[in-house]
Amino acid sequence: MSPPATAAPVLELRDVHKSFGGTPIIRGVNLAVKRGQRHALIGPNGAGKSTLFNLISGHYVPSAGQILLNGQPIAGLTPYAINRRGLSRSFQITSLFPRMSVAENLRISVMGRHGLRFSLFRPVRALAQVAAEVDEYLEKLRLTRRRDDPAGALAYSEQRALEIGMALATNPEVLLLDEPTAGMSREESAYTVALIRAVTEGKTLLVVEHDMSVVFTLCDQISVLVYGEIIASGEPEAVRVNPKVQEAYLGEEVAT
Amino acid sequence: MSSRARRLGLLPAFGGVLLVLPLLLTPNLVNAVIKMMIAGLFALSFSLAMGQAGMLSFGHSAYYGLGAFATLHLMKAVERSLVAWPTPLLPLAGAAAGLLCGLAFGWLATQRTGVYFAMVTLALAELLLTLAPTWNSVFGGEAGISTMRMNSWSIDFASDRGVYYLTLAWVAGSTWCLWAFTRTPMGRLALAVRDNEHRVRFLGFNTHGAKTLIFAISTMFTGVAGALLAIANEATNYTIFSAQASANVVLQTFIGGAGTFFGPALGAAIMTFFARVTSDLTRSWLLYQGLVFVIVMLFVPDGIGGLISVHAHRLRASAFKHLTLPYLVCLVVGVLLLVGVVFTVESVHVVLSDAYAVLRRANGGALVPYSLFGRQFHPLSPWTWAIPLVSILAGAALLPVARRLTRHGWSRAVGESAA
Amino acid sequence: MEFLIVSVLNGVVHGLLLFMVSAGLTLIFGMMGVLNFAHAWFYMLGAYVGFTLTRTVGFWAGLIAAPLIVGGCGVLVERYMLRRVHKYGHTHELLLTFGLAFIIEELIKLCYGDFPVNYAMPAYMKFAAFTLYETNYPFYRLFMGIVALAMFAALYVLLTRTRVGIVVRAATLKPVMVEALGHNLPVVFMGVFAGGAALAGLAGAVAGAFFPTGPNMAVDFGTLVFVVVVVGGLGSLEGALVASLMIGLFISFSVGLNWSLSDLLALVGLGGWAREVGGLLTLQLSTVAASMPFLLMLLVLLIRPAGLFGDRQ
Ligand SMILES: Nc1ncnc2c1ncn2[C@@H]1O[C@H](COP(=O)(O)OP(=O)(O)OP(=O)(O)O)[C@@H](O)[C@H]1O
Ligand SMILES: [Mg+2]
Repeated sequence: MSPPATAAPVLELRDVHKSFGGTPIIRGVNLAVKRGQRHALIGPNGAGKSTLFNLISGHYVPSAGQILLNGQPIAGLTPYAINRRGLSRSFQITSLFPRMSVAENLRISVMGRHGLRFSLFRPVRALAQVAAEVDEYLEKLRLTRRRDDPAGALAYSEQRALEIGMALATNPEVLLLDEPTAGMSREESAYTVALIRAVTEGKTLLVVEHDMSVVFTLCDQISVLVYGEIIASGEPEAVRVNPKVQEAYLGEEVAT
Repeated sequence: MSSRARRLGLLPAFGGVLLVLPLLLTPNLVNAVIKMMIAGLFALSFSLAMGQAGMLSFGHSAYYGLGAFATLHLMKAVERSLVAWPTPLLPLAGAAAGLLCGLAFGWLATQRTGVYFAMVTLALAELLLTLAPTWNSVFGGEAGISTMRMNSWSIDFASDRGVYYLTLAWVAGSTWCLWAFTRTPMGRLALAVRDNEHRVRFLGFNTHGAKTLIFAISTMFTGVAGALLAIANEATNYTIFSAQASANVVLQTFIGGAGTFFGPALGAAIMTFFARVTSDLTRSWLLYQGLVFVIVMLFVPDGIGGLISVHAHRLRASAFKHLTLPYLVCLVVGVLLLVGVVFTVESVHVVLSDAYAVLRRANGGALVPYSLFGRQFHPLSPWTWAIPLVSILAGAALLPVARRLTRHGWSRAVGESAA
Repeated sequence: MEFLIVSVLNGVVHGLLLFMVSAGLTLIFGMMGVLNFAHAWFYMLGAYVGFTLTRTVGFWAGLIAAPLIVGGCGVLVERYMLRRVHKYGHTHELLLTFGLAFIIEELIKLCYGDFPVNYAMPAYMKFAAFTLYETNYPFYRLFMGIVALAMFAALYVLLTRTRVGIVVRAATLKPVMVEALGHNLPVVFMGVFAGGAALAGLAGAVAGAFFPTGPNMAVDFGTLVFVVVVVGGLGSLEGALVASLMIGLFISFSVGLNWSLSDLLALVGLGGWAREVGGLLTLQLSTVAASMPFLLMLLVLLIRPAGLFGDRQ
């Protein structure tokens, strides 16, 4: 299966806090994601999972605490700086370029990775390497047939696939996916899980997911976030039988 | 494929016409075409920021003016033999001024997005407008700066013809650059920023930097347009910074259609042309331009360019027969409404003018007939007001008919093209 | 001392007038997401309505009719224009109001000419409220301040103490929720839009009788109003109030001060050099008073990009 996780955590949160207007939402989170792990973050609605992603990816600045990527502090950096250090994320609420074609959506992602940021002196058509990678991702995402359609015109599940694809296409070392399979059919969900598994081979994944079957097939570590605190963290089996987790969250769903 | 071929054929034809135009037209009209080309370039550069990156600037006159002033200073230096600079390369001064100021102001303005951005750009232009008349050494005070064009490269720039070809060359070159920009990675990034700036940030791009750069490229070409204006007029003053100039380019761009590449230039050229031809006939041209703009915003949100592109892309040539009748009815409605509105506006203008007041005083205060379009009308006669009333009412009554016919004709034409 | 008191009074009155217009703008924006570019042009419309009625009926009639007429225009604009283009997005709405501003200005030029008109307060209001040292302080300035204050008191009570006010404030925060609770959101929108326009119209009728009433007044005042909302943060009434007063004071002080950058440099012994260089360095503050609000805005943008009371967008 996946390569054994090496000891040093790639992503580490140390006592991270976040409040909005005096209301504490994240209340002292400690989390270590080791290299090569596929780590699930689960918890009830409103627990603060997306907020935690927003803190890690640089959308919000933590009120207190440290976030380390490869041992380097990243809390307070801009999202693009964090992305360039090898961390990419997808959004729970689909966030695409609706008036651009599917291929162009992916091309923006690929361009960023190739450092084609402020490139002014050659046409995009001449970028063969970029075009080839875009085609490859289109194929992987099963979106080749829709490559020239505007992203805004895609069906919901296709948009979700593109949403994940854009995060993948920056080819990050650490990938954060926020409910990747939400709104997908069973078949699409299974396909997406297999895809995520394939592309994150040798990389590190942190994923928020409500579907427990996805969590248990995809991930080798689980952390449970309830009311802004991690109440349990560990191997799936250990978490499954943890009484605190059963009481707080998993309860009827998995305890059978 | 055929539409592409048509377009490829269209461009050289258009270029050829522009090349021979000065040989056919009177100097006055040559001058008009120069102003149309400059307005077109201004609109194209404005719409690089607006149409591509979604940055609505209400203060582009600032860079237009700075380009003009920078060029005039260079021209003065040449005149005083302080530097040797060939006239054909003068617009580089405008480009440099536009680029540098665009970088500085753009860095500030792009800290904010959306409507804030619009307001900040407006305020920056207003800052220049208030500062310029008091800052003699740079903006020449209230009078402004004037100078002379020098001949160089053995081209005669004293004539309109020389200026025409200079303008044509720069406008054509700049237009090509602006078009090429849309094809570069940066140009695609601009579209992404317009669609969803938030997401771009999470893909590794510094959006603030990108927007600053895009804005500066836009203002650089605006500076070129300003420079060309300065060369054509050999003078300018602080009023070039006025909100009016910024407003004009916004109006013209959206009348032309900000969603297409050439639409803004088309809108600017058409509006500049009409402003020119009607300047002897009416003083209310700006009012008409405003009305056209609001009508376009309400009923043709994609502008003239959008209309053309929809016809060119969605319809086959044979399908146009379904549209002949509807468009004829639309034309009739348009003419009726136009007559009514123009008659009313011009009558009001005449009756409230100072000249008419003098006339009344000479006649003991009575409301005397006034002349308009070479005829006499009496302000109190019901017949006078029947003209606009009847034509507007008729136009309004026909409007729903025209809309229904157009809708039917359009769906039939699209159906036939798709079949 | 005298300068100080007079400047503070002038600044506060000017600031209150600014707030009267920017409050409407901010309320409309907060609620509908529409930046009504034509807002300052409603202010101008108010002044011209006041002028016309003063000549024909009387000053007070103008003061009462101006907000009603301008508010009526607001209803028409919201109902028949903005609502039509709502589906194309906020930029489109902004552009539409931009075009309207353009048309209003040209119509006013058509009817009243390109030059300022002679709109003046009635003679019995032209007296000094009090005399400070040697300066007579005009009563009308105080009157403007009082009208503005009365408006805020009314607005404040309306927004905080009445059912309508509660619905309006709720609609500013969560429009969808308010609609779901069974309130007629379009009517609320129309009401707020008309109310904002009426406030601007009243401000115009009151201020136009004291300041020059001409076709440029809208651009001049309008850009100040925009500076106010950028500095204060759009959608925030407190921000608008603080920024209005700040800018009013800023202008009234810079008009009266003959400082220049060279004076500042003289403090560090560079005065002579600065006077030699001339140009921007010797421009007196009073001559560039009109630019000061924009410089203030730049400063705020540099230090707090989101404005004094704005959130990070
Ligand atoms: N910008 C914000 N301002 C104020 N409160 C916020 C903000 N963002 C999130 N919250 C609050 O933080 C809490 C956690 O939200 P978050 O979206 O992180 O939950 P979640 O665990 O992702 O839930 P879900 O499973 O529904 O996605 C919620 O109560 C939410 O209202
Ligand atoms: Mg969430």
